[in-house]
Amino acid sequence: MDVEQGTIVTLIGNNGAGKTTTLRAITGLNHPSSGEILFDGHNLNKLAPEKINRLGIAHVPEGRRVFPQMTVLENLEMGAYLRKDKNAIRQDIDMVFNHFPVLKERIKQLAGTMSGGQQQMVAMGRALMSAPKMIVMDEPSHGLAPIMCLEIARIIREINKKGTTIILVEQNAMLALSLADRAYVLDTGNVILEGDAKELKENDDVKKAYLGG
Amino acid sequence: MEVSTLIQTIANSLVQSSVYATLAIGLALGFGVMKMANFAHGEFYMLGAYVVFFLYTTWGLPYPLAVLAALPIIALVGMLTERLIFRPTKGNVLAGFMATAGLTFILQVLVGQAWGVGLMRAIETPYKGAWEVAGAFIGWQRLIIIPVAILMITALWYFLYHVKIGKALRACAQDPEVAALQGISINKITLTAMAIAGGYAGIAGALMAPIQPVTPYMGHDIIIICFIIVIVGGMESIAGAVLASFILGFIHTFMTTLYDSIVAIMAGVALMALILIVKPEGLLGKVKA
Repeated sequence: MDVEQGTIVTLIGNNGAGKTTTLRAITGLNHPSSGEILFDGHNLNKLAPEKINRLGIAHVPEGRRVFPQMTVLENLEMGAYLRKDKNAIRQDIDMVFNHFPVLKERIKQLAGTMSGGQQQMVAMGRALMSAPKMIVMDEPSHGLAPIMCLEIARIIREINKKGTTIILVEQNAMLALSLADRAYVLDTGNVILEGDAKELKENDDVKKAYLGG
Repeated sequence: MEVSTLIQTIANSLVQSSVYATLAIGLALGFGVMKMANFAHGEFYMLGAYVVFFLYTTWGLPYPLAVLAALPIIALVGMLTERLIFRPTKGNVLAGFMATAGLTFILQVLVGQAWGVGLMRAIETPYKGAWEVAGAFIGWQRLIIIPVAILMITALWYFLYHVKIGKALRACAQDPEVAALQGISINKITLTAMAIAGGYAGIAGALMAPIQPVTPYMGHDIIIICFIIVIVGGMESIAGAVLASFILGFIHTFMTTLYDSIVAIMAGVALMALILIVKPEGLLGKVKA
């Protein structure tokens, strides 16, 4: 698999295809048993998650996983844990609030008490706060209302336009393929198809298997 | 009960609760971050008392200095415990339990070897005299424990809610994997938590040294009550541990005064059983989603 700088790459496939495992291997939560993961010339295979964060990769985990008993602001501060540049951090908090105005209104609310869509915004904002070169996102649209899905998709595109590379894992293949530049189709741990996202969207096999006909 | 006895008992309860609180918050903190119970926490308390015995009684250092010294010394013991026991047994709950249970005996025997078993260490009371209220006499030595405990609880609260690494500690307790994804080193955080737990237990022991018989086994009884407190308060909840310390402190002291210490322990365990039936997550515990 190749992910070019500044692009959105999506991994689609059924449950158990290995999408989440792939993302977890990239950010060091799992260690690959074979193969190599290279990022900016660094081998990530054996690095701990906190080291990988330092290299500039952020992870929006499956199921959002905000820190439930911390406020929205504290969640964002944790995203910037390794950074020391206080002014830039403050600017980035404003940047996150620009993307997600509702978070600014709820700055002191405990993240665990928010709706699913708002928690997704907190999780994405937290990832942005490390000023990453690349963000891996695991099912950001899962369990959200259709309107919220579109909102999240719009923001993913915005984040990407500002130069952040994105790897997107989605059950919602239609949404993923319309966002992405490139796509990989996974099945039980193997890449079975790859190519331009627009082309894959028109591929008959993909249509049948993942886009509902 | 006479008024003077009542006042005396209330004052004793407050002192006892303060000691429980400084111990229980450390226990809850360690449990929150590591999901492991440190059985040797009572021995940290005992070692704190021996620091005072050694520095104050034997070496003749001023008492406040000896108490302060217990903080870094026992914090170091806590850090060593993290490094040598909790970190290698991470993910293996049974091994961790066995190892800290073993550590309690090792520390008891080591102290017994160094200073003798069964011998009470007589520590002269540095602050003599008492405060007389309505016929009750409350010794200064006991009274100073209350403000010190309040100061310690406030300092921990400030650390957890206003200092970056303290916030990271809370993040680790809530979701260690995601905390690591933010660049937080879990090992550094558990080391910090065990330093605080150890240091606080050390201070508690140091404060009690002139009041309680100092023996290698003095940590044993108090740690059982502290476990009850942490369970009643809600395992990982610091606020719950403080609240439960005061509830248990009062129940325990009143029961001991009115009946005896066996009844007091029974009452504490009965309360724990009741809480576990009515509110299994503890008074201020959170149910994990």
